[in-house]
Amino acid sequence: MSEWSYQPAADQELPPGQRLRSVRRETGVTGAIAHYGWGTFVRLYLRAYHRLHIEGRENLPVDAPFVVIANHSSHLDALTIATALPWRLRRKAYPIAAGDTFFESHTTAFFSAIMLNALPMWRKRTVRHALDQLRQRMLEEPCGYILFPEGTRSRTGELGTFRSGIGMLIAGTAVPAIPCCLSGAHDAWPPTSRVPRPRPIQIRIGKALRFPDTPNERSGWNDVAKQLEAAVRELRN
Amino acid sequence: MLTAFDPVTKGIVISVAAVLAATPLVFLAMQAAGKLNEKLRKELWTRYLSWLVIAPLLMVPVLAGRVWTILGVGVLSLFCYREYARATGLFRHHALSATVALGIALLTFAALDHWYDFFVAVPSLMVLILAMVAVGADQPSGYIQRVALAVFGLLLFGVCLSHLGYFANDKAYRPIVLMIILCTELNDIFAFITGKAFGRRRLAPQTSPNKTIGGSVGSLVLTTALVAWLAGPIFSGTPLDHPVHRIAMGLIVSIGGQFGDLVLSSIKRDLGVKDLAVVIPGHGGLLDRFDSLLLVAPAMFHYVGYFWELGLDQPARLLSGGL
Repeated sequence: MSEWSYQPAADQELPPGQRLRSVRRETGVTGAIAHYGWGTFVRLYLRAYHRLHIEGRENLPVDAPFVVIANHSSHLDALTIATALPWRLRRKAYPIAAGDTFFESHTTAFFSAIMLNALPMWRKRTVRHALDQLRQRMLEEPCGYILFPEGTRSRTGELGTFRSGIGMLIAGTAVPAIPCCLSGAHDAWPPTSRVPRPRPIQIRIGKALRFPDTPNERSGWNDVAKQLEAAVRELRN
Repeated sequence: MLTAFDPVTKGIVISVAAVLAATPLVFLAMQAAGKLNEKLRKELWTRYLSWLVIAPLLMVPVLAGRVWTILGVGVLSLFCYREYARATGLFRHHALSATVALGIALLTFAALDHWYDFFVAVPSLMVLILAMVAVGADQPSGYIQRVALAVFGLLLFGVCLSHLGYFANDKAYRPIVLMIILCTELNDIFAFITGKAFGRRRLAPQTSPNKTIGGSVGSLVLTTALVAWLAGPIFSGTPLDHPVHRIAMGLIVSIGGQFGDLVLSSIKRDLGVKDLAVVIPGHGGLLDRFDSLLLVAPAMFHYVGYFWELGLDQPARLLSGGL
């Protein structure tokens, strides 16, 4: 007979405000219902208002862990990628969002955490430590991430340079990184516009890349970033 | 506004309001006398401010009426279960947690409907539903632990607590419910104060190192006396209007309250967590505050119900409309 083992929530000892902003945040039934409900609403919205077209779903993995990366030019990007994932992956997928935009006030933090299931990345703080925590969680839980290696939204719609942070997350692991290319999102909701416009959006999902033999150090991280940037560029053409 | 209520209800509400209003003056006097260091001062104020929120949240639904009392207890049950599920890890099993929540909703419905047969049927039906739902995961490893944790959670936070709400189906529920809540909370405070004054030997050092036999006996005496005093006017003219019953009810509140506290301490020690959550500043989680009520509610309900027919003169099955 095996011993009973208890595994309290990783964020069990944090007060509510800190829980929402913690990368260790775990949610239960209510969180899953909110996440599913919001996801369904967004799916209907993207299909109806932006005539969303998805290509390459067969390239998605069967289960976590995984990392989905894409070009970033609009607030619709993470929502679009999440919509492209089936529920079995979406329920384990955490979009990595800028802490200073999405987790600053209690209201936005609540919305980002409960509806989007997002985890914060504080761009001005110790990125290395946060990425280590994310890497550990991804492998242990396991879970998936949706992130944008450019680090910020492109102001022109062009693809920027990928930062090496993505490498810190997956170098030396067998976790699949799935490159995606979003088109039309910048036109639909550019950073200069207050509300989205009814323009079509397309997402193309590429074949997964893995980096099990890439060293988990500066040179390896850069290598991962370069290869993934090239993969997204190729999908754009 | 309070004139519509019976004297005990009025007395409890006015006393609590008066104590809460006077407390800052006591703090200021203690500070002026130099009896408060910075740390203690902060802790006292945090706890006091939390009570300013908790006290109305507990009392207003009871005063507002039957429906609000039952719904309030239902919401409290859900939040208490949530803390427990997060601390045990059960929250990761969504189907089981949703089933426990359904059980709490059904108990709340049975209380609202004033349908005692269903209220009694829900626990046993939910046990079999939980056992079946847990099979759905097709994961035999850990099956007993998951089902047992869910059943324990349902019984402790759903079934036990919902008895407090079911009291509201009696016409004279207000003073009974308020007395139970007030005396159970005061029982903790009496134990703390008498423990500080007379406590030597520890009561259960492994479970709760700060509790003493002195505190336990002190609260037993004081709480029993308080309940016996309040129960006089509340149960006047009923079969419970006898000193033996009044003292018995006092003992139930004090012993039930102390064991409720120890049950939660045992759960926390077993899980290896200090508090079950960080929701109420200065107190911890909801369960760290309301643990004592868990056992008192059903014990008092069945004691009172055995000797005096609780709510039987009121219409039953209000929503479901059966016989």
